Amino acid sequence: MSFIEQLAAGFASALDGYGILIMAAGVTWGIIGGAIPGISGAVAMALALPFTYGLDAPTALVMLAGVWAGANYGGSIPAILMRMPGTPASAACLFDGYELARQGRAAKALGISLICGTIGGLISILVLIALVLPLGEIVVRFGSPEVCALALFGLTLIAGLSGPSFLKGIASGFFGLLLTTVGLDTLTGSMRFTFGSADLLTGIDTISVMIGLFAVSEMFFLIAHPARPSGTLVGTASTEFPTLRELREVGRATLVGTIVGLVVGIMPGAGATASSFVAYNEARRWSKRPELFGKGSLEGVAAPETANNAVQGGDLVPTLALGIPGSNSAAIILAALILHGIMPGPFLLTKNPELVYTLFAGLIIVNLLMIPVGILILRLTLIAMKLDPPVLIASLLSLIVIGTYAGDLFVLNPIQALVFGVIGYGMRIWGFSAAATVLGIVLGMLAESELRRSLIISHGDWTIFITRPISATLIFLTFCVLVYPVLMTVLRHWRSRRVPAAPAAK
Amino acid sequence: MVIVLSRQITPGVLTDPLGPRFFPTALGAAILLCGLLLTVAELLFRGEPALPAPLSDSSPEGEEDAGPFSPSRFVGAIAATAFYVAAFEPLGYLLATPPYIAVILLIHGGAKKRALLIAPFLSTIALYVTFRFGLLIPVPDGPLEGLLPW
Repeated sequence: MSFIEQLAAGFASALDGYGILIMAAGVTWGIIGGAIPGISGAVAMALALPFTYGLDAPTALVMLAGVWAGANYGGSIPAILMRMPGTPASAACLFDGYELARQGRAAKALGISLICGTIGGLISILVLIALVLPLGEIVVRFGSPEVCALALFGLTLIAGLSGPSFLKGIASGFFGLLLTTVGLDTLTGSMRFTFGSADLLTGIDTISVMIGLFAVSEMFFLIAHPARPSGTLVGTASTEFPTLRELREVGRATLVGTIVGLVVGIMPGAGATASSFVAYNEARRWSKRPELFGKGSLEGVAAPETANNAVQGGDLVPTLALGIPGSNSAAIILAALILHGIMPGPFLLTKNPELVYTLFAGLIIVNLLMIPVGILILRLTLIAMKLDPPVLIASLLSLIVIGTYAGDLFVLNPIQALVFGVIGYGMRIWGFSAAATVLGIVLGMLAESELRRSLIISHGDWTIFITRPISATLIFLTFCVLVYPVLMTVLRHWRSRRVPAAPAAK
Repeated sequence: MVIVLSRQITPGVLTDPLGPRFFPTALGAAILLCGLLLTVAELLFRGEPALPAPLSDSSPEGEEDAGPFSPSRFVGAIAATAFYVAAFEPLGYLLATPPYIAVILLIHGGAKKRALLIAPFLSTIALYVTFRFGLLIPVPDGPLEGLLPW
């Protein structure tokens, strides 16, 4: 089938049955979830996972894509109207968004955020399609050693980027890998860490662990650290589209935001928060009127909002082409695949092309749906933002318990969610990276099986990893990523000792 | 502990060059090494900020707005959730959920009186209807099984 035919089939699959309604529901929950402080895009997606149990894999994926896209926009609503970012990625938008709201132009700021976010999202999906397909053709040539080296490289890169401390990030990633060893060993049939329990033979429940690490830990955090009173609403509950002249005015900032979002998104572990701040600074640098930034500049809203939506396409490049999730949200997309019996990895595109094309089509549709849904549910979003936080937290915890139970009608799943919620809370407090653990879980399934398969092929000869050019390159890159932060720490320490010595020598 | 437990794994009938023990043992050793390095780093660079991630999206949300840690709330929430999970099947969703939501509201504090009276029931019914009739998932009914008209 040609590319166009496959994409058309993807659109047909995404729109099949109640597809459009399910995507609209996903976008709606994403916007509302993103607008409620404490529920980031990844948490909103984790909370939506139980609702995908009854759906087929393509529909589940496009629904989650809708939640992701919606949350990107939703976060900007409280940032603009209340000076309180709904998600970390929308923090850069409040500098000018809230200023515009104070000047009585809240509706315009929301309109710019919505339109520019949609433009950024759509362009990033087109770039995603353009990059993933050729990468997929390269990946087809990968054997077990290359896949194993790729999993190792991905894990090291992500663990290094996704936490406050490199070592803690790596340790968190190893912990995730270790969790995948629980249960029956698929190659030899040995039982590992089951402690005699038949319930653990199938291993830990990935979905419950993810929901625990992302959502339950967040709820416990909100309970244990009650937030200060929230800001007050400024502006009216309406959205005003930008005029053509205003769109031309923000064109340069939108372009900057799109490029930054894509580039940062493609780097695994970086993500939307970094992209929106980088885009804000770059847009100010390239702007004809940089003096307006911070005083209610439309460009100051357009750039970060475009960037944090453009990250979605960038994030999915390593996720779909290589099986390395670029962010927490992308990891949840991979978890949804596992939930529906599809093994994520570098061969996703070759083994399940119809699924990938459905996701492409779904991403385009949800980005377009964001405009009407965003306008229609603004008032509902404002009501949700004003909900009593304790009521919301208690209801969401109850949803998590019933949601994780609903997967297999098995009470061990909510128990796992609870246990990993406590672990996730501890990791957050002590600076470990729950994201790296989740990525370890996703990549661990590949890493061990491919490592052992490689050694079966080579009859136990480890040089197989360094005698094949692609795996040797990936092993070398892994080594560089591991050594770089250690070198930097030593160098910084050495410099800090030298600097105070200078005046004394004088 | 992981290393010790890994060594106790019984190899299966089929074998491969590494066997089922290697990966968990290696990971246990790697985590141990990370722990040792973290301890050494803490002793050597005490007081200095850790090397920041170059570009990170993992900054916990709302950390700057978070209030002080309340151990009683934290332990209370975990205990209440543990009890809820334990009671979920024997009592059924409809009987176990309203008290749980009410307890969480009380632990969190700050909920309005009206919310405390209405929210546990409204929220329970909304979730029950969504899962039972929307997603067609058989939610446990506990002692109410057979008494409910559906």
